[in-house]
Amino acid sequence: MHIILRKLLLAAFMAATSVVVTSPFFSEGAENRELIVAAYSVPKEAYERHIIPAFQRMWKQRTGQDVRVRTSYGASGAQARAILGGFDADVAVLSLEADVDQIVKGGLITHDWKKGPHGGMISASVVALGVRKGNPKGITGWQDLGKPGVEVLYPNPKTSGGAMWDVIAIYGAGLKLAEHNTGGKPPSAEAADAQALELLRRIQRNVRVMDKSGRESVTTFERGVGDVIITYENELLPRVKSNRPYEIIVPNETVWIENPAAVVDRYADRHKVRDVAEAFVAFLHGPEAQRAFVELGFRPLDKGDAKQTGSLPQPAKLFTVADLGGWEQISGKLFGATGLWTRVVEDSARQH
Amino acid sequence: MTTQTVIRLALRSTTVGYVFALIFLPLAVLTWQSFEAGLDRFLQDLAAPQATAALWLTLETAAIATIMNAAFGTVSAVVLVRYEFPGRWLLNALVDLPFAIPTLVAGLMIAAIYGPTSILGSWLQQGGMAVLYNRPGIILAMLFVTMPFTIRSLQPVLMGLERDQEEAAFTLGAGPWTTFWKITVPSVLPGLLTGVFLTFVRALGEFGSIVIVAGNIPMKTQVASVYVYGEIESYNPQAATSVSVLILMLSFLALLLLERLTRPPGERLPRWVPRTFGGPIRREAEQPTVAA
Repeated sequence: MHIILRKLLLAAFMAATSVVVTSPFFSEGAENRELIVAAYSVPKEAYERHIIPAFQRMWKQRTGQDVRVRTSYGASGAQARAILGGFDADVAVLSLEADVDQIVKGGLITHDWKKGPHGGMISASVVALGVRKGNPKGITGWQDLGKPGVEVLYPNPKTSGGAMWDVIAIYGAGLKLAEHNTGGKPPSAEAADAQALELLRRIQRNVRVMDKSGRESVTTFERGVGDVIITYENELLPRVKSNRPYEIIVPNETVWIENPAAVVDRYADRHKVRDVAEAFVAFLHGPEAQRAFVELGFRPLDKGDAKQTGSLPQPAKLFTVADLGGWEQISGKLFGATGLWTRVVEDSARQH
Repeated sequence: MTTQTVIRLALRSTTVGYVFALIFLPLAVLTWQSFEAGLDRFLQDLAAPQATAALWLTLETAAIATIMNAAFGTVSAVVLVRYEFPGRWLLNALVDLPFAIPTLVAGLMIAAIYGPTSILGSWLQQGGMAVLYNRPGIILAMLFVTMPFTIRSLQPVLMGLERDQEEAAFTLGAGPWTTFWKITVPSVLPGLLTGVFLTFVRALGEFGSIVIVAGNIPMKTQVASVYVYGEIESYNPQAATSVSVLILMLSFLALLLLERLTRPPGERLPRWVPRTFGGPIRREAEQPTVAA
């Protein structure tokens, strides 16, 4: 029965994830290699336009082989589940560590993927706020999002990795603000938690729409809904550059986002493409791919690299998921059955 | 065996096999999955606050959409059948469009009409009436995708309804009200019930259009199908199947009831089917049942 269900699910996944074949023409021969990459949808342009063609040139130069890269883009969690369900991607490029961990738990990634450069991370950003042109509601930081009359958008953390980052940013900012309120003296863990919870509660009360993904959330915002959108800075930057009528506010307290990439051992070995897969992941860490990411609105992986960051504002109180205890702990604490976010959402109904 | 028997057998087994492979098998697997972890777990999944809230919201909005569609659908069907007016053919063709349009697109259209950037949307917002990202939006999406059901199941019945029966009742001394209740209503009831039940079960399961117009905030504007999607996406397939199975069971019960209510008189029933509830409804003309 399980196998039947799995097969059905797999068929559904195959239909759902659009598999984009990048180079439709290739001649049969021993010199041809094929790499399957499962990626989350945000950096699609960077891959299609810059990174994959550059990698193919590099590989041809190094080995004389033509490598055909087949890519599939979808929501990070959906990609992780598809891989677990049998989608035989050689490389997984996802939006959060937690999704790669699911593949590790499924036994498909067997190497210590965090041992690589930058701890297995290939791109970085921060959680930022998008506001309407001219900032009519005078938004400067998180606390303004909890004020009455401000409509907030962010996607549902159950379906969107981006939304998990958003909630973590609010929660972490709440902790930082608690610290600030006690005049730098570290408050007790309970007191800080209570303040963070209160901030989350206030902001959640103003949430108007929770879309399935970060992309959809931006689409809703562009449709004119809401005063503020909480999302990846890299999602907003290219749009503002192309003259969309909104502005980016980087709050003083926000979370440092890192996106992982890893070779899926089981499938790479089965397809006998481990060398190509490893070279591809290494290439993502290299200067050429990094430049493409930064061009697309990501931040350089080294937080302090102001030269590369250019005009991007540096948040004064930047924190990481590791500062909050790591993914395992924070996702349980916020999104578990009795987690803070779950409670906030469930309590919000009682007030109405 | 005569050729006729062979053909009949082949046809029957094709039908059974088709329904089995396409409908029964996936349903059975899902139900089995859901109860695999035990009934306790199933009930626990349903008792989760977000699940309960989503289920109630779905039932409530689906019920409202069903009532509205029954009322407006009946009127529309009567108008489309009984009255000649210019453009009737066009209207008639438009009715089926909701079936042809992807529900996601239906959602986008509703969002475009009632969104804050549209004239209607901003006007409604000024009046303090929030359609989009609120219950009215959900109901509107449900109405859109289920619109053809009532109209299309009533139309043939209304067309078959002979005017002379009503006229006969009238000449025999029945008032217009009595004629309506004793002649018209019993004749069209099976069609109406079919429309109503199909509308309800279709509305229960709607996802594509609602996910765009509802706002999807848990406990407030999140319907069951969107909740199910969220649970699948957050590595919790167990809760997703439990809620799905409940919706399936509700739908199946509704359809069983419909089957029972609209069964023509005289048709043989298996002995285990209770004969008490509902009772057969007389169709407009006694159609001889085709003997198998």
